[in-house]
Amino acid sequence: MSEFGIKVEGVSHSYAGRSGASTVALKETNLEIARNEFHALLGPSGCGKSTLLYLIGGFIPVQKGAIRTPAGVVSAPGPDRGIVFQNFALFPWKTVLENVVYGLRKQGRSKPEAEERARHYIKMVQLAGFENHFPSQLSGGMQQRAAIARTLAVDPDILLMDEPFGALDAQTRRVMQEELRSIWRNSPKTVVFVTHDVHEAVFLADRISIMSARPGRIEHLVETELGMERDDGVIASKRYVELCERIWALVREQAISASRGEH
Amino acid sequence: MSALEAGHVRPAARSGPRFGTGLLVQTGVLLALFALWEASTRLGLAHPFLLPPLSDVLVRLYQDAIGGAVFVDLGLTLYRALTGFLIAAALGIPLGILMARTKFFGWFFEPLISIGFPMPKVAFVPIFILWFDIYDTSKIIMVVFSCFFPIVMATHAGTKNVDKWPLWSARALGTKESRLLWEVILPLASPQILTGLQIALPVGMITTVVTEMLMGGRGVGGAMIQAGRFADSVGVFAGIIEIALLGMLVIRGLELIRARLLIWHPEARH
Ligand SMILES: Nc1ncnc2c1ncn2[C@@H]1O[C@H](COP(=O)(O)OP(=O)(O)O)[C@@H](O)[C@H]1O
Ligand SMILES: [Mg+2]
Repeated sequence: MSEFGIKVEGVSHSYAGRSGASTVALKETNLEIARNEFHALLGPSGCGKSTLLYLIGGFIPVQKGAIRTPAGVVSAPGPDRGIVFQNFALFPWKTVLENVVYGLRKQGRSKPEAEERARHYIKMVQLAGFENHFPSQLSGGMQQRAAIARTLAVDPDILLMDEPFGALDAQTRRVMQEELRSIWRNSPKTVVFVTHDVHEAVFLADRISIMSARPGRIEHLVETELGMERDDGVIASKRYVELCERIWALVREQAISASRGEH
Repeated sequence: MSALEAGHVRPAARSGPRFGTGLLVQTGVLLALFALWEASTRLGLAHPFLLPPLSDVLVRLYQDAIGGAVFVDLGLTLYRALTGFLIAAALGIPLGILMARTKFFGWFFEPLISIGFPMPKVAFVPIFILWFDIYDTSKIIMVVFSCFFPIVMATHAGTKNVDKWPLWSARALGTKESRLLWEVILPLASPQILTGLQIALPVGMITTVVTEMLMGGRGVGGAMIQAGRFADSVGVFAGIIEIALLGMLVIRGLELIRARLLIWHPEARH
């Protein structure tokens, strides 16, 4: 772990509420992710996972602490950090193809080259045949896959994904997990993958952070040590099953304290 | 997989038959109204001077059309309405954007616009006559003045409250701040801007006719006042039908432009 991918150093974040009261979403969070690590972020809902991702992405200003990447201290969004938002955030006035082409053109690629590459990624997320559909003509799961294609196509150094498979059915989800894993292997990048699904986190990640209930901090860090190959064999392995149980227990602990905090 | 998923896609041209029956009903209602009009005058329920028979009005419309007089008046009215409307759009859309994007413009213009919006613009006709005389310039400026406010209001509201997610996406994909307005904010605000234009257009048509009536000269409004002065009630009603048809045509045209521009919008698939 000599080279770092992302450093989160003492980051706190609070949102201003309507009546002057503010919500502390993150408190003194520290996290170091290695370069080209596949890192999963687990935690009860409302613990600040999206907030942490938006901070790394540079979409909201860092109020306290600092976030570093190999490109420098984060202060604004940039094409070195790609993001898949929880609510897809497609351009509604562009077709699926135009959505994916957009970022590729920003990289200075020619139109034919951008379109060819876009079609490749659209096919990969199983949307071939829907290139000329507008987002409003697609189901939630299809929109989510279009958003994934748009972000993967530009091949960013850092890939931030906020529950990217949340709207998919179980089968598609599995296919997409395997695709993502193989893309990451063929073109290594630092991935921060937010999910609710313990099995998904264990199957995909090298390391897993478990966040505390709000205000969020990194409460536990677990290395999966499941090796490079992730397939059905891994899922059947004793280590995988044990890991899932152990992590599930840690997540449940935080979820219980979150629900206590609310009552 | 895709064949299965295709079921999720709402067919684009589903509204065909419903649109057809809607048109049928609308035509039916209009025909019934016309029949009632004709019958009431023929049966002597209404004095033919106060309400001339529809058939007489139609004959007049036909004669005027043959003579070409209608087209001069309609053309002038249309020219004034559209020129005023387009100038108002060319001024109002940029100002609405500036107000939403620049604090100073927002502070300065917001109170002015909210005072101006509900004000009856026709009250300014005497002033405009003093300033600009009674010819085309004056009439067109009246139209600009009346169309301007709804366009500014809609553009301001539309560009101020754009969804932040597509903006964030664009930033993450490397879009420069200076390009965001053109590449993201305007497309997102376009439904609201078009709504503003659709509110302004009939206002502009009304203002044109009223101004023509008040200032005189040629044009549908002027021709109607002229007919009224000569106690030509058939001519007045012919003018009403002409202006109704013209208004319908122009407004329908803008609706078509909207449908064309917003094919991506969920509203295109209702
Ligand atoms: N824009 C916002 N304004 C106010 N509070 C917010 C905002 N976004 C998130 N929060 C609050 O901050 C906390 C963390 O939110 P979030 O990062 O979305 O959590 P997660 O993604 O883990 O579910 C939650 O309590 C949420 O209600
Ligand atoms: Mg979230």
